[in-house]
Amino acid sequence: MLALVSSCSLFEADSYDAPDVTLVGSVVDVLTGKPVLTDQGSEGIRVRLTELSWGDNVEHNPDFYCMPDGTFQNTKLFKGNYHITVDGPFVPLLRRDPDGKELADESIVMNLETSHQVKFEVQPFLHVEWVGEPTVQNGKITAKVKVTRGVSPEDFKAKVEPMGNYNDDFLNMTDIQFFVSYSSSVGYRARDERWSSRLDYSGNSFEDLFGQTITIESNGEIPAGRTVFVRAAARINYNTPVGSGTRRWNYNEAKEILVN
Amino acid sequence: MKRLLFILAIAASGSLNSCVDMDITPKNIVTDNELLNTPAGMDIYMSRMYSLMPFEDFKYTAQWGFESNGWLNSTGIEGTGEAVNREGLSASFTGERTSYWSKGFVLIRDANHLIETLPAFRENFSEELYNHYLGEAYYVRAMTFYTMAKRFGGIPLVTKVIQYPSSEDEMEVPRASEEETWDQILADFDQAIELLMPQEIKEGYANKYVALAFKSEAMLYAGSVAKYNQDVSGRLTGIGRKTGVRVIGFDEASWRTASVRYFTEAYQAARTIMQDGKYSLYKKRWIAGDTEAQYQNMVEMFSDLSSPENIYVKEYIFPTATHSFDAYNMPFSFRSPLSAGTCPTLDFVELFDGFDRYPDGSIRVTNGDQNASGEYLMFDSPLDFFKDAEPRLRAYVIFPFDQFRNKQIEVRGGVYTGDAPIKPFFSSYAYNNADTRYQNLSIYNGSSKSLYLSPREGGSQELVDYNGQQMTAAGQEGPFFDNGEATVTGLYLRKWLQTNPSAELGEGKSAQPFILMRYADVLLNAAEAAIELELVGASSPDGSSLLQVATDAINAIRERAGAVMLQGTLTGDVNGRNIVRKERRKELAFEHKSKWDIRRWRVAHYEGRDGFWGESRDKNKFSNNENFRFRGLYPFFSTKTGKYFFDARFQWIASKTFGYRPLDYYFEVPSGEVAKSSVIDQQPNR
Repeated sequence: MLALVSSCSLFEADSYDAPDVTLVGSVVDVLTGKPVLTDQGSEGIRVRLTELSWGDNVEHNPDFYCMPDGTFQNTKLFKGNYHITVDGPFVPLLRRDPDGKELADESIVMNLETSHQVKFEVQPFLHVEWVGEPTVQNGKITAKVKVTRGVSPEDFKAKVEPMGNYNDDFLNMTDIQFFVSYSSSVGYRARDERWSSRLDYSGNSFEDLFGQTITIESNGEIPAGRTVFVRAAARINYNTPVGSGTRRWNYNEAKEILVN
Repeated sequence: MKRLLFILAIAASGSLNSCVDMDITPKNIVTDNELLNTPAGMDIYMSRMYSLMPFEDFKYTAQWGFESNGWLNSTGIEGTGEAVNREGLSASFTGERTSYWSKGFVLIRDANHLIETLPAFRENFSEELYNHYLGEAYYVRAMTFYTMAKRFGGIPLVTKVIQYPSSEDEMEVPRASEEETWDQILADFDQAIELLMPQEIKEGYANKYVALAFKSEAMLYAGSVAKYNQDVSGRLTGIGRKTGVRVIGFDEASWRTASVRYFTEAYQAARTIMQDGKYSLYKKRWIAGDTEAQYQNMVEMFSDLSSPENIYVKEYIFPTATHSFDAYNMPFSFRSPLSAGTCPTLDFVELFDGFDRYPDGSIRVTNGDQNASGEYLMFDSPLDFFKDAEPRLRAYVIFPFDQFRNKQIEVRGGVYTGDAPIKPFFSSYAYNNADTRYQNLSIYNGSSKSLYLSPREGGSQELVDYNGQQMTAAGQEGPFFDNGEATVTGLYLRKWLQTNPSAELGEGKSAQPFILMRYADVLLNAAEAAIELELVGASSPDGSSLLQVATDAINAIRERAGAVMLQGTLTGDVNGRNIVRKERRKELAFEHKSKWDIRRWRVAHYEGRDGFWGESRDKNKFSNNENFRFRGLYPFFSTKTGKYFFDARFQWIASKTFGYRPLDYYFEVPSGEVAKSSVIDQQPNR
């Protein structure tokens, strides 16, 4: 009888180690070394980890997303051998041809055991920069931004065309968003509908405006006496990952503005 | 001791005996021999299959999937724009809590078993009956594959009984391509149509026309997906990682021909039903030119089991097989225990004839050129606003102050005590102002109060002196800005609800039938397939004039509905197509159909959203670059004039926003199914 009971390990504690591996990463522009700024949420940069030691048929871990400054951190990972990849407003790291065959994979594969730092060097579609400081008048914020390409059209085409269904329209800049919010994590998700605005561009009409200063103005009237945060974002006509239909924006850094 | 040994010896011999082969089937297991050799046994087999059928009716909730219970059941709240309510359930149809995957294969196995085993019992039945049973098996399989395909795209086409245990090769079936999947559905429907008799054996079972009708609906879905995937940014298609099979979408080289093939099949199936003449539109109470009779006719058609329009009906019987639709969807004062589960929207009302409009086509509530300008139009009774409304709309929606179950449904948003003429309450009714509500206005909470609203019913009602009497700010039926259990849009649902005032209300006390397929569906399928064929210049499969058939179908439905008839013949262009789509949006509202139409047209995501309503509407009026919202229509009483006026604004109470991304057009395959199989692919774009 006793033997039976003890064979069940009834009195032993469950001793499997808690997940304690930390992975810190950043996504930077391969040319400038500057971080690729993004939105906080599923329209931003997606981080996908797959634990390879489970074999061929493994499902990836639950996805998580970069912080607005283009960095990410996960402190609750199990030890293991991981395939780490990011998807965002940059040339896809993992590229497949129309038949699903892998063309290139610039993701990182590594053993995670303690605490690790990774850096992804990517080719962002666009750069969005502030030009001067935004100004406030009568509850309206006026900002100047400049949009330039982060990847040359030739380079983009060379890498994306083999993935199939290529269209020259992919490179068209389609819209500039001007997000306004009371929250410092301002962006697509945390915007105030009343004041955020946008400029749309059809076809390749933005082609001549790359590098030019674009003026954008907030909507409505922001009540005086409060601090708001603003951010601009722009995107091209290309969805990442392919087939998701999500066209992600490249952002500039948030600015704090006192409305008075 | 001796005795003990003796007993042990007997026990031992007994246990030895039990090792002899026992190949007698236990009496408590029913075998094929008992079930498949008589019509009575077959009836038992069929009743199990039909009870597992994935019917979207009073027991189906879009957010939850097929959970086979009627809890909180309502219709059209899943981001179709037909209705909204206060619950979290009122959200876009981007997936189901209980995915329709493993349940589907249980039913497919039953169908496959019948197809494989029944031939051994063939001599027990007449030729006709034998064929009919087989036809039912094919019909069940087609319906199940169809139910899965419209959710997932390509699915594992299990067309034979898989023995268990067996080798992994035998048991694992990978997802087929989306095109192969629709072709299999087509083949199964065709088999069913060939084998089934024109008359079903039992109410609620299939016949030839049921199969034809669902075939036309399924093929319309297939044709639309093949075609409109092309319009989604980057073409909506992809190859499975594990198998290299095109599990969603169509090949660049084949989508055109596939689309035409499916539309042709949809058209022919619908035409066969129309030509055989077994069914017709319900017009028992209909009288030409009499809007009251036309309205009554459309109220009664949904509960009349003898309706010649009914092709396929899920029946309920009190007290054994019931649902709770009335318990959750009645107006507030009939709540039992809940109410207002389906609150129709103004955007939906806007589809219908009989209203004054602004230049942009939206319904007019002021004398300006849009609802933020001019002054409110005044009405003696809220019902006057609807006096020319299409009878069909009145049969679907309870207007404020209209009669329902011998009661006037008093819906009033609030009372205004300021001077007339009255300017619009808000300076902007645009999407980005949707979160500013009546209770935020200074005329309500400021020092010079002229607007009275009620947070809740009963003692929480604000009171206003009017003509020496006290008037409650909100109507007896709401809306209450802090209680979403009354209407949240100013409108209530009428369709499907029990109209008999003496019928007892409560959970599990309703037994109205749910019409899963009716002749109007068939007419609309024919019309849409015809226009789609005309759009690509395809020839008519049976020599009929495509545009004439479409025109006649739309006019038949409009005439019965009391709507304005078409002028001339439909045109084979996007305009003509949109007329057909819009008619479908109107006629089939609250029948669990529109959410599929919106999906197959690919008009829910931002880039495609102009086509959301069937007709073309500027998406920027109801959405930002991701989310969208719907509007309510709120009646207010003016004490200075003794008249009513309406304000049209985004959902005031329990405000809902909806979103849809292109990847939502194909639901996620349950991740457990992907993880445990070496061949089941997840959607490649996820």
